[in-house]
Amino acid sequence: MNSWQREIKAVFRKELASELRTRSGLATVALFSIAAVVAVAFAAFNIRLGGSLASGLLWVTLLFTAAVALPRAFVTEEEQGTGDLLRLIARPEAVFWGKALYNLGLMLVTGLILSLLFFTMIGRGIEHPVLYLICLIGSCASLAGAVTLCGALVAQAAGRGALAGAIAIPLLLPLVALGVAGMRVALGEGALRGGEEAAFGLVCYGVATLAIGPALFAAVWKS
Amino acid sequence: MGAATLWSFMVPDAAMFQKPELARIFFFHFPCAIVTSIFLFLGPYLSIRYLVSKTPEWDVRAASANELGLLFGVFTMATGILFSRVQWGAWWQWDPRQTSFLLVLLIYGAYFALRAAFSDESKRAANSAAYSVATALPALFLIFVFPRLPQVESFHPTETIQKGLLKGDYGNVTLVMLVLFTVLAAWLYKLRVRAGLAELALENMNGNLEAHSGSAAPTGVVRPVPVSREG
Repeated sequence: MNSWQREIKAVFRKELASELRTRSGLATVALFSIAAVVAVAFAAFNIRLGGSLASGLLWVTLLFTAAVALPRAFVTEEEQGTGDLLRLIARPEAVFWGKALYNLGLMLVTGLILSLLFFTMIGRGIEHPVLYLICLIGSCASLAGAVTLCGALVAQAAGRGALAGAIAIPLLLPLVALGVAGMRVALGEGALRGGEEAAFGLVCYGVATLAIGPALFAAVWKS
Repeated sequence: MGAATLWSFMVPDAAMFQKPELARIFFFHFPCAIVTSIFLFLGPYLSIRYLVSKTPEWDVRAASANELGLLFGVFTMATGILFSRVQWGAWWQWDPRQTSFLLVLLIYGAYFALRAAFSDESKRAANSAAYSVATALPALFLIFVFPRLPQVESFHPTETIQKGLLKGDYGNVTLVMLVLFTVLAAWLYKLRVRAGLAELALENMNGNLEAHSGSAAPTGVVRPVPVSREG
C-alpha cells in the first residue's frame, strides 16, 4: 500500500470512526430520507404511480438527502477546528478522496434503503434490477462527488449550512434528467436502449465529478 | 445597433410562425443566447487561469465574464418568455431549452451567492473560481446534450441554420445582429474588467496608505481600566 492509499484510508477511517462515535450524521440522514419517502408515499395515497413519476420522486428525495447530509464532511471539520490539523497531515487530494469515498458509501446505503422503502410503500416492482442498480451507483457517485466538493467550498464561508445545498443543487439538477430517464426504464417504462444510454451517462458524470473534484479541491484547500 | 433594429422591422414577415410580424424578437433572442453560451465557458476558462496563477486580475476577469453571462442570460430568458407567449400561447412551456436556460441562471445565481458568502478576498476568489470550473460540466450538458436527447421533444428547432433554412434578409439580419451583440458584449466586458481592476488598485492603495499611516487593522489592544479596591 503506497502513501496515497494510506492517507486516503486514514481519512476514510477517521470519518467512519467519528460518525460511529456520535451517529448524528447517520441519524440526520435516516430521519430526513425516511420522512421524505413517507411524505411522498403519503402524498401519492391511493394513486398508482407511473414509472416516470415514481423515478422522479425517488430522485428528488435522493437529491435533497445528499444536499442535507453530504456537506457535513467538511463543515464539521471547520466547526470543530480540526481542519487545520488535516491540512498539516494529509495531502488535499487524499483528504478529498477519503471524504468523497465515505460520502459515496453513505449515499449507496441510503439509496438502497430508500429504494426498498419507496417501492414497498408505493407497491411497485423493478423490471430491470441490474439497470436500476447501475443507475443508482452512477447517481450516488455523481451526488457524492459534486456535494463533497460544494461542502468543501463553503466550509469556511458565512451561513455554510444552507449555502452548501443551495450551490450544490444547480450543479446536480442536470443529473435529474439522466437519473429519471434511466430509472423509469428500469421500472419498465420506455425503450431499454434509452435507459442504458442514460445509465452510461450517469456513470460518466459520476466518474468525471470524482476525477475533477480532487484537483479543484487541492486549489482551494490551503488558500 | 439602431440601424440594425430598424432594418429588422423592414424585412418581410417570416411565414412559418403563428404571428409572423411578432417573430422579430428572434433577432434579439438568438444573439443573446449565443453570447450567454460564450460567457458560460469563458467564466470557467478565466477561473482556471486564476487557479493556476492566483493573480487577482484573473478573478476580476472571471467575475466580470460571469456577471455579463448572467445579464445576457436574463435577456435571453426575457425575450424567450415573450416569444413563447406570442407564438406558443403560454408564458412558460417547460420546453427543454427554456428549462435548461433556467438552470443556467440558477448556476450563475449560486456562483454569486458563494462569492457573497466570503469576506476574505483570496478565499472568495479561490472558492468561486473552483465552483465556476465545476459548473463547466453541467453547463456542457445543459446547452449541448440535454436539448438533443432523443426522448426530449422541444419547440426549438435544432437544425435551422445547418440546413440553410435561415436565408435571405432574415438570415442577413440575424447574422448582423449576432455580430453586433458579440461586439457589444466584448465592449461591456472590457469596461467591466477595467472598472474591476480600478477597484482592485484603489483597494491596494488604501491598504498601503493605512499601513504607512500606522492605522492599519485594529490589533485587539487592551486598554487599562482603573478598578478601585473597594469594588
